[in-house]
Amino acid sequence: MASLVPCPHCGARPKEEFTIRGAALARPRADAEPAAWMDYVYLRDNPRGRYEEHWHHTAGCRRWLVVTRDTATHEIAASRDASLDTVGVKRTEGARS
Amino acid sequence: MSDLRITRPLTPQPALRGCTRLVSRAIRLEALPEGHVIQVLGTPHAPLAMERLAPLSDGAPQAVRAAGPGQWFIVGDRAKTHAELGDILAALQPEAFGVDQSAGRVRIRASGPMVERMLAKGTAVDLALTRFPVGEATTTLVGHIAAHVTRIGDEAFEIMVLRGFAQSLWDDLARMSAEFLED
Repeated sequence: MASLVPCPHCGARPKEEFTIRGAALARPRADAEPAAWMDYVYLRDNPRGRYEEHWHHTAGCRRWLVVTRDTATHEIAASRDASLDTVGVKRTEGARS
Repeated sequence: MSDLRITRPLTPQPALRGCTRLVSRAIRLEALPEGHVIQVLGTPHAPLAMERLAPLSDGAPQAVRAAGPGQWFIVGDRAKTHAELGDILAALQPEAFGVDQSAGRVRIRASGPMVERMLAKGTAVDLALTRFPVGEATTTLVGHIAAHVTRIGDEAFEIMVLRGFAQSLWDDLARMSAEFLED
């Protein structure tokens, strides 16, 4: 497991400070088909290679991050705040990934 | 602010009673008075300016500490009265909310030439003076305990921790300091 995770607010921190939620998926609309919600809530790919995950910096800034991690090498390519583009700028609705 | 008053019977004794200060030439560890701790919860995308918060503190250096995007702690050694707290919490409105954490968080001061090496045993934060200058503050794990660390001097840190973890953290810090206390 990647042991140092770059937090956009706190810098490099050990993975013990984080809680991993899983794949960062596009959320269906509230009135989407049950099948779409079934897919979103329960069904997961098991990708090999780079993909995006939600990590929560539980013992640090307590922000949700989107971490781009390679499942084969555990290399972390990027991390960003899940709702702030940069510190101080709120992402517009719909831009959420 | 709630009318509920945290009065003496709820916090009858200091959390770190019996923890006498540990002093050597290399390290110094001491519990700080349980004065006031106010957690300021603002909006992360439009953070308050430090200049807005400094007048609400007691004026000591590093009395206002960052604690993640849009959040701060205002701390001091003197306990606030219910009325004083009410004034501060009201003054934070409408941009932020204040929460009185005076009975909930305990501060420990660690200082001395070996303080960085002592803390490095417990946390992965780079505490070098160039990377973590005086006034810098962050939340991190010290061992398994979440703590808020502030640099208050070239060789001095304050570690703030939830009250229930204070004794455990003190024991950990004392053990981390042990090799520097032998002289």
